[in-house]
Amino acid sequence: MKKIFALLLVVVMIFSMTACGQSGETKAEYNAALLLNGNLGDKSFFDSANQGLEKLKAELGADKFDFKVEQMGAKPEDEPKWEPTLLEYCDKKEYDVIIVGTWQMYDALAKASKEFPDQKFIFFDETFDFSSGEHKNIYNVLYKQNEVSFLVGAAAALMTTDGSLPMIDPSDSNIGFLGGMENPIINDFLVGYIQGAKEVNPDVKVKIAYVGDFWDSAKGKDLALTQYQSGGVDIGYNVAGAAGLGQIEAAADANKYAFGVDSDQAALLPEMAEFIPTSALKNVGNSIIRAIKLDLEGKLEYGVAESLGFSEGGVEIVKDAHYEKMVPEAIRTQLDELEQKIISGEIVVDTALGKSTEEIQAIKDSVQ
Amino acid sequence: MIVDAILSPEFLNATLRATTPILFATLAAAVAAKCGIINMALEGIMLFSALFGVLFSAMFQSGILGLLATMVMGGLIGLLLAFFVLKLKTDEILAAIAINLIANGATILILLMLSGDRGVSSSVKSVPLPRISIPVIENIPYLGAVISNQNVLTYVSLIMVVVVHIFLYKMPLGLRIRAVGENKNAAESVGISSKKIQYIALVISGVLASMGGFFLSGGYMTYFTTGMTAGRGFIALAASFMGGNTPVGGFSVSLLFGASSALSNILQLGNWPYEIIQMLPYITTIIGLAIYSYVRMKKRQKLSDRG
Repeated sequence: MKKIFALLLVVVMIFSMTACGQSGETKAEYNAALLLNGNLGDKSFFDSANQGLEKLKAELGADKFDFKVEQMGAKPEDEPKWEPTLLEYCDKKEYDVIIVGTWQMYDALAKASKEFPDQKFIFFDETFDFSSGEHKNIYNVLYKQNEVSFLVGAAAALMTTDGSLPMIDPSDSNIGFLGGMENPIINDFLVGYIQGAKEVNPDVKVKIAYVGDFWDSAKGKDLALTQYQSGGVDIGYNVAGAAGLGQIEAAADANKYAFGVDSDQAALLPEMAEFIPTSALKNVGNSIIRAIKLDLEGKLEYGVAESLGFSEGGVEIVKDAHYEKMVPEAIRTQLDELEQKIISGEIVVDTALGKSTEEIQAIKDSVQ
Repeated sequence: MIVDAILSPEFLNATLRATTPILFATLAAAVAAKCGIINMALEGIMLFSALFGVLFSAMFQSGILGLLATMVMGGLIGLLLAFFVLKLKTDEILAAIAINLIANGATILILLMLSGDRGVSSSVKSVPLPRISIPVIENIPYLGAVISNQNVLTYVSLIMVVVVHIFLYKMPLGLRIRAVGENKNAAESVGISSKKIQYIALVISGVLASMGGFFLSGGYMTYFTTGMTAGRGFIALAASFMGGNTPVGGFSVSLLFGASSALSNILQLGNWPYEIIQMLPYITTIIGLAIYSYVRMKKRQKLSDRG
């Protein structure tokens, strides 16, 4: 038994050594490494990041730009290898930039950035704390959830009075919002959502509910059902993580609409797609293309955080065939116009970040 | 709008729906408590059952078979808890905490392995139990909208209150469970094997809790989401204690809790601070309990005054 075990260990070690030895030689002028604390196929951030890099490679040519994707896995047993993998990539000194994302990689990145001050990093979807004055080698990219929510709010307000839609009662203009908890990020979604809705319909009413956590999907469903059945809401927007999926179930139950968030939820829940007109997304891929292009020109500023909105292509709503089928053309045109106005700066979307509780409450009161 | 919402049949309908998972777990807590063991593993058992309910029903392509398989699994977890507590002499609270913690991690791991997603089981084609409309009753104006068109398991949970009551108070095995819980030594002196009885009680408790867990992902919702029990197991434990660990008492407290949950959902339609509204179910339950104990104390005082 012991012998077999020892033999197994040897085999495992040899394999892992060869795996290390396989590290590709980098030939292009600029090389990026994308380290995923998960796998491709998540229909969300990771796929988006990978597509962005592929697009950039096609655009610039393989001799100019190349990249490597390392899928580190997301299972609990994979977690211990995230940090060593990151450090190993830094140690190779082959890559001009190493890209990581999400809060789970925060500690590993902070450590790597200290140990390898000459290595450049791009960090997405989580605020990095630069207050210590160190970490001058990290470019932190964030996404303007208020801008994308503005567009969703406008879409909701336009759809809720459109009698041509099958599941809409056009007599009132109530729309719904289901948040996980009241915190600055969720409020930022809400503030944009309300502003967008009021932009197209000043009389819009927004029913706001919070689950209290990000996982009680059954409670999320009940809250949304209450909005749909008793609150006169025809269309809602969920920003509550897994609990928000309850709203989509409620929409399916009550024959109403619900907007998705963070990933294309119509693709995630194909059986309920007919209730999901579109989803609000962070476009990680675009933000990475932009960062690397700036870096190639020597213009990318490290050691700071930057929030990207529509004008930088950092956020978007899903505009595929499904969206075109579900949202009438007149509304789609209007949404495109609004998007252009945000990009041109004609419309400035308000943010909840830095606002006091009273100011947020006043915004909420304005749509009751 | 809020008054209309409270008077609407949807309110009582939502109450029954919110009560169901807690009621199953409350009954589970009561059976365990009657034999002298606090089953704090309810949360973990429910979480496992919510996940495996989806997996089993997808495997058999049948909600009923999925439920039965989940009940068997719930019973096995109950048995595991009993094995830890009774055979290995672990502290019952610590063993339960272990099960709850394992449930948290293991459900995510298993979900990820089988569906490729760590948040939702939507890629697993499970078969939830249906909602049923009851003939005749569904045509009664208000009552029909409240009682009819609920999930099968909601009716089962109500029936289980009666079944568990009869089981505990009218059947020999129930009497033995209560005897062991009241006084182990006395029970053993008349030839009852206390261990065997406690094993049985914990298995029954596990089966009941697993039905509550199954309901969450195969009735309330139609898929599993990570951590979806959200503390219902602990609430049920408290509800059972408040109800004096009797099925009927536990039912009353669960119903009160379900009603105040549904009420708090409606109150969110108004523009009040949601933090206060969210405390409502807990506050109502505590106030309800305080009134109940006060009335009972008064009654006792009267009786002892007479005596």
